[in-house]
Amino acid sequence: MSKEGKVGLTICSTAFEGLGRAQAKALGFAELPIAVIPHPFGIRSRDEIHQLAAQCVTEVAKLLCQTGKTVSTLRQPTSVGAALLEAPDTLEEINRLFMNNRWSDGLPIIPPTPERVDAMLQGTDRHRHDIISKVAPAFRAATVEYIAINAVMAGCYPEYLPVLIAATEAVSTPHFNLNGIQATTNPAAVWLIVNGPIADTLKINSQGNCLGPGHWANATLGRALRLILQNIGGGLPGDMDKATHGQPGKYTFCCAENEAASPWEALHVERGFQKNDSTVTVVGPLGTWNMNTHAKDANDLIRVIGDTMAFPASSDYVHGGAPWLILSPEHAHLFNREGLSKQNVKERLWEASKLKTSRLAAKDLGRVQNGRREELGILSPDTLLPITVKPEDINILVAGGDGTHSVYLPVSGNSYSASVKIKEFISTTI
Amino acid sequence: MHSSNCSLYNPVAPIDTPEATLLAGLESLQGKVVGFIDNAKPNFQFLVEDLSEQLTKHYGVKKVITHRKPGQVPVKPEVLAQMVSECDAVITGSGD
Repeated sequence: MSKEGKVGLTICSTAFEGLGRAQAKALGFAELPIAVIPHPFGIRSRDEIHQLAAQCVTEVAKLLCQTGKTVSTLRQPTSVGAALLEAPDTLEEINRLFMNNRWSDGLPIIPPTPERVDAMLQGTDRHRHDIISKVAPAFRAATVEYIAINAVMAGCYPEYLPVLIAATEAVSTPHFNLNGIQATTNPAAVWLIVNGPIADTLKINSQGNCLGPGHWANATLGRALRLILQNIGGGLPGDMDKATHGQPGKYTFCCAENEAASPWEALHVERGFQKNDSTVTVVGPLGTWNMNTHAKDANDLIRVIGDTMAFPASSDYVHGGAPWLILSPEHAHLFNREGLSKQNVKERLWEASKLKTSRLAAKDLGRVQNGRREELGILSPDTLLPITVKPEDINILVAGGDGTHSVYLPVSGNSYSASVKIKEFISTTI
Repeated sequence: MHSSNCSLYNPVAPIDTPEATLLAGLESLQGKVVGFIDNAKPNFQFLVEDLSEQLTKHYGVKKVITHRKPGQVPVKPEVLAQMVSECDAVITGSGD
């Protein structure tokens, strides 16, 4: 509002004051008035809210009438480039410096020396000061140089850089809602999916343990994106990243699709890209939930997966979400053998995962009613809630190795995945 | 003791948004229009209801306009435009 020339005021609870002030500063309004109310706020009774309003109205009125001040936030033009600093030349001292400044993710880093960063920049034809996107919640400029610095720290090779450039563009797609993902109390990670020929070239694992350890590209690409989100986007745990618990996937979360083992068109082809295009897709999952089932036919498999998706504390039902499934090749082939396309599976799961409103907590039902009123109208206790607005919003990836396991990934509210073509990779394998 | 130093890049990108100046506050709330943007978090709509009543009753606010977001998403441009054109001040909810 202040940007639009109006007197603005924000109200938040004590737990979110730091986030509010940090984001206001990042957006150029360091002195935005903020009225702070006690946390926790959402669980209070109606009477308590009434008393709280009576207590804080004086402060609200005072803040609306206070004199505004000129902001004097330190600015540094991005064209100058990243700042160099001097550090003792031992790995231990450098890591201590990065740990103390909170420039790492808690793990040791590869020191981003000018030589290593210059070598990393050989992975792209882009100019080092080109701005790829503004990364929420601080909305700082992600230049190619800053992406490269964080890629070095994560242990990436120069040929990985185009993947990270595309991923940094993808996370800033408006419908991905990175601001929500980065600042939420939910354990929202950013999952990086790679499709197309570049996955084989870079040896990004799509098979057994594709979300587990053991593969350099998966581990370092996911880690680099996390460092970008933290050091460029400002999503620093405890500051603007308000996750109640977080999750291990916030260290690294990257895999490729097992296109060779899938009976269906690949994710990027489904989204309109050519088969020989290479793409990254970013998703905001809240966790991974293994589904081990020896279901022998499609009906049985649809039923158990649908039941797994339909849990009452799921954000997806509140907002009309966009959850993901990683089907193992065995499960995907079971569906395909019975003539089900990927779209057929989505439609069947959309029906099978409907959730009775009476299973929700009353306050959560109120949130559903607010968030999905236009779509669903007035809800009754017997209303069956669809998990997404339409079946197509259920997303399916085929990945993993042998085994009767598939994975369900609920997704952060109001976030829809985004796919971007990796522009600097030209396939030689077609 | 360290025998030598090395040069390293600072990985943290700087704030680069343009400098901004906050408007002077209102002289008073008498006769003013106040907008609320409800972030749809639990209980915030009740706080908005109560503050609206108090601001109108005790501070002379002429009118309150309220918009409740469907979830944790940015305000739609048309809603923002309405708030800008009709309100003297706007109060937003942030966080839980």
